[in-house]
Amino acid sequence: MKIAREPGPKFAAIKGYLVPWGCLAPALAFLALFTFWPLVSTLKLSFYQWNMVSPTPKWVGLTNYLEILRSREFWLAFWHTLEYTLILLALNLALPYITAYILSHLVFKGQNFYRALIFLPSVLSLAVAAVIFLWLYNPLAGPVNALLRLLGLPAPPWLSSYRWVIPALAVITAWKSFGYNFIVLLAGLVAVPLELIEAARLEKASNWQIFWRIVRPLTSGTALYVLVMTVIIGSQYVFVPIQMLTNGGPDQASTNLVFFIYQYTFNFFQTGKAAAAAVITLIIFGGLLFLQKRVLEKGVYYEN
Amino acid sequence: MKTKIPWWHFPLLLVVLGSLLPLIWMLATAWKTPEQVFNASLNPWPYPATAANFAYVMGAIPLGRYILNTFIIAFIVTAAKLLTSILAAYGFTQFSFRGRETLFYLCLLSIFVPFTVTMMPNYLFMSRMGWLNTYTGVALPQMADALGIFLLRQSIRSIPPSLVEAARLDRVGHGRILGRVLLPAIKPSLIALGILFFINTWNEYFWPLLMINDKSMYTLPLALQMFTNLEGGTNWGAMMAAATLASLPPVVAYLLAQRYVVDTFIHSGLKG
Repeated sequence: MKIAREPGPKFAAIKGYLVPWGCLAPALAFLALFTFWPLVSTLKLSFYQWNMVSPTPKWVGLTNYLEILRSREFWLAFWHTLEYTLILLALNLALPYITAYILSHLVFKGQNFYRALIFLPSVLSLAVAAVIFLWLYNPLAGPVNALLRLLGLPAPPWLSSYRWVIPALAVITAWKSFGYNFIVLLAGLVAVPLELIEAARLEKASNWQIFWRIVRPLTSGTALYVLVMTVIIGSQYVFVPIQMLTNGGPDQASTNLVFFIYQYTFNFFQTGKAAAAAVITLIIFGGLLFLQKRVLEKGVYYEN
Repeated sequence: MKTKIPWWHFPLLLVVLGSLLPLIWMLATAWKTPEQVFNASLNPWPYPATAANFAYVMGAIPLGRYILNTFIIAFIVTAAKLLTSILAAYGFTQFSFRGRETLFYLCLLSIFVPFTVTMMPNYLFMSRMGWLNTYTGVALPQMADALGIFLLRQSIRSIPPSLVEAARLDRVGHGRILGRVLLPAIKPSLIALGILFFINTWNEYFWPLLMINDKSMYTLPLALQMFTNLEGGTNWGAMMAAATLASLPPVVAYLLAQRYVVDTFIHSGLKG
């Protein structure tokens, strides 16, 4: 403690501890109480069978885990989560990455204009995004299908089609999150020293080579952050259109792990299985974070 | 040196178009008559425009009440998050003690704890406390924010240390160092962060969905769900009018402070 080490009366020493901890206490208390304690609590619940109403949860050991790992619904939700995530990585990592590269290194005029408009959808509620797209996707009169018919293309019933429901819902989330990721990536990209790129230009490197060989390695820290957030937040975000528009349907074709956990908790009241599924997702995300750390340590260039 | 390739504006304009088209259709549909909605769904310009959809929304739901609910929750959460983040950022930057970095990274780790892992125990806690269907229930778990702590810590660190040291030598108390020296210096970040907190809380759907089932306590995003639940004869114009009304406050807040919000992200070093 900087202040406490100074020679002085005992009062100053106590005060030296009191002030910093007093500053940290409110934030730490809320995070401990509503983020970290529930984490432990969920872990505990996953070993019990309980319906949220009966007075005593019943200890069942690993039964919940074994049962969901044997259930078809869980694996459906698992593979769907993967599918959502892959689409979101393309639309919310690759696409904004390239867009931000174009804006920061190939186009110099109108930066404020582009930034302001591309960020705009990210200030809207996912609930708003969901209802807008519910209309856009309307099979009979919705603008998307009206346009497709005008062009003589097939016009599928997006949200009730087994084949299209996941891409259709992923696009809703992607539309809402694109601008945020774009701005975060842009922040990383503008920090790349221009001299490096000009030197490469003199060597007649193509724009793609400059992006892949120079800009991408120099901004990989930012990109990894966006990647991890897309995976973790993405599966949570996509819950909103699932819950509002399809309720997991048609016939569970659009469920994901977050929706699976929600249903088992609040529709089926099987907290043990829901908790077990939550712990499994946490383990998967934890593995991803660990991987990110490993990748970061292995030769990712840190900005600053 | 090769500069300014106008051709590259083309893909950027496509992205802008993709970002704006759904919004344009929301606005257009909100002002259309039912006939226009179905027969001219591709027309982005309702003519003649009608305000009937907005009138319908105001009659169908207690709009004023929902706006008030949403506003109160967003206001409480924003104020609390700013306060706890400022204090924590002060604690993390102005003192050195054992375990400081560990504690800071533990805070950051909370960003990566998925909502699914915390929602059930938090729901049970609120339910036991009798806080379902209350502002407390929605607001309480969100009163600290790791991203806020991170951004403000970053901003305070970018202030020249000589400023704070000069105040220390003058034996100025912590409250005044914070209030007179640090906070004025990081004002742009505070404004941006406050707006971001407000917008995010205003828009929230998942947690309020779990906390609130009493219709009089609904927030605007939850109220939208009522328009999708009408199977079959969905009133699309009214639904888009409700979506427009729910989006208005965040969009206005963003447009007023657009420079702050975007610049904070660009310059705060939210990287690595």
